[in-house]
Amino acid sequence: MSATKLERLLNLTALLLDTERPISAESIHDQIQSYPRELASFRRAFERDKDELRSMGIPVRVEKVPGTMPAIDGYRIPREEYALRDPGLDRDELAALHLAASAVQVEGLPATEGLLKLGGIVADPSGADLGVRIAPLPADPNLSVLFAAVAARTPVAFRYHGEERTVHPFRLEFQRGRWYLTGFDRLRDAERNYRLDRIEGLVELTDLESFIAPVATTLGQARGAWELGDDAPVRAVVRIDGPQARWVVQHVGPDHVVSRASGDASDDEVVVELPVTNRAALRSFVLSFLDHAELLEPAELRADLVAWLEQVS
Amino acid sequence: MTSRGEPSRPRLQRLLAMVPWIASHDGPTVTEVCERFGLTPAQLAADLEVVWLVGVPPYTPDALIDVVQEGDRVWIHYAEVFSEPNRLTPDQAVALLAAGASVLALPGGDTSGALATGVAKLAAVLGIDAAQVLDINLGGAGVEVLDLLRRAVRDQRRVHLDYYSFGRDARTQRDVDPYQVQVQDGSFYLLGHCHLAQAQRRFRVDRIAAATLLAESFDPPSEGTSGRVFEPDPDDPRVVLRLRPAARWVADVHPMESLEEQPDGSLVVTLAIAAEPWLERLLVSLGPDAEIVDGPRALRGAGGRAAARILARYR
Repeated sequence: MSATKLERLLNLTALLLDTERPISAESIHDQIQSYPRELASFRRAFERDKDELRSMGIPVRVEKVPGTMPAIDGYRIPREEYALRDPGLDRDELAALHLAASAVQVEGLPATEGLLKLGGIVADPSGADLGVRIAPLPADPNLSVLFAAVAARTPVAFRYHGEERTVHPFRLEFQRGRWYLTGFDRLRDAERNYRLDRIEGLVELTDLESFIAPVATTLGQARGAWELGDDAPVRAVVRIDGPQARWVVQHVGPDHVVSRASGDASDDEVVVELPVTNRAALRSFVLSFLDHAELLEPAELRADLVAWLEQVS
Repeated sequence: MTSRGEPSRPRLQRLLAMVPWIASHDGPTVTEVCERFGLTPAQLAADLEVVWLVGVPPYTPDALIDVVQEGDRVWIHYAEVFSEPNRLTPDQAVALLAAGASVLALPGGDTSGALATGVAKLAAVLGIDAAQVLDINLGGAGVEVLDLLRRAVRDQRRVHLDYYSFGRDARTQRDVDPYQVQVQDGSFYLLGHCHLAQAQRRFRVDRIAAATLLAESFDPPSEGTSGRVFEPDPDDPRVVLRLRPAARWVADVHPMESLEEQPDGSLVVTLAIAAEPWLERLLVSLGPDAEIVDGPRALRGAGGRAAARILARYR
């Protein structure tokens, strides 16, 4: 970009931030001398500039210029919507955020832009290394809009499994290498979670009233694939034989163990009870043990599993 | 380096962040500004030249931003209009909070240090409770095992693993030279040279029942260790599978030796089978969505035999 265009964009931002009263395009043309003097060229340049500022998240608002008849469009950037309140990050905190952002990237979302606004890039003086190489978290076209909706508690609408859903988005989760949304589904009248990569098309923010999210108490735990779905909830009871028992307990979490055959020895069979909202994932999980596991309850899922196995050739 | 070729968006973003920062600090050094905002001194000089020309009406000298450079220090005055940077966009907020939450979610991570307080301050400005709105799990791994592996990678020490090999459905004991701990697709892995297999292997950390640090040290390989890990053994049997549309995903997650599209939307693929339990698992979990169309006689009925064994428990 030429220095002229950069100067023009900065002057436009300054002018629209400085004013409390919306300013007409004509007046902007008069005041910012670096715009082309010829009117049609000015119009084109001004349109491009507004788009450019908005694409960076700068809130350029269009309002009627007071006292004009017929009404004329005016522009301004409301400071209360523009300005970042200083979070007061100290050097160590900035360095820690920079280190984290260097180690973990979300595909397609550069963290540097955000860091610059927060006080710039500060290298960690200790040269610390996490000792773990973390693959970038996957991109999703709906990730940012859902984050904005979660933060503002705005109900959203999207298509999922062929149905239009209206959802109170409670939180975003990253589980098993994928993004999920957990929220209250107004169609199902219950809490559900949705795989972001299965949302059909783009999520829309609705103008429905904002909601109050319940406080989640079981965060910070890995969730099983059987918990991540949209099926009517059931509790499944699964028995797993000795040799696999140890890593199963680690995998599902000790809270889900309902009994162990004898004592605490690691090679005894275990019975686990699992909350299921994804029945296909539960079936795959149980079958991953081949004949070293058995789905005990509920009878309905057990019958489904038997019917499934009878189709294996 | 000239500033002419630099794309507009990053440069404008940087200036809108940098001007408030310099203005609110009492004469930071050129070096510090360059470090914080990722600039060369020449780029900074070019940026400051532009800032000189910016102001608000009536554009009299006292309404223009003033840049003062003295020695190696720089001041910006009369920049009230740019006294704060622009808010984070949702993209920028997600990128930073997800990174912070991921590192805090590493088993054994420091949840009271600078990163935790930094994330909390950032969340407060955004008006959210970070832990409630963004729950990140990189994968399951025991803190003790993971700590030991990270230490072993750092110190280049061999480890002994008590490992449940899922593919072979067997518990094994092996010595491994650990190259790297990785997080991918929701699991922790240890990449290293396995002395039992005499080759590079990747181990799921949550299937390591126990790990011990051995006395031997090793030299990590000089080239990158992130290359393809699984190379099928040329002597392994090959199986040809028909995958119905619902099972097409299998071709995205497992290496295929050949792949043919069928008119009905299914795929015919060739797979190297290193261990029979692996094939059995695949077939019973895919159910009616997959069938073996060719392969050694011994493997042809693998799915049906495994299903019959499992069904025996249900009758």
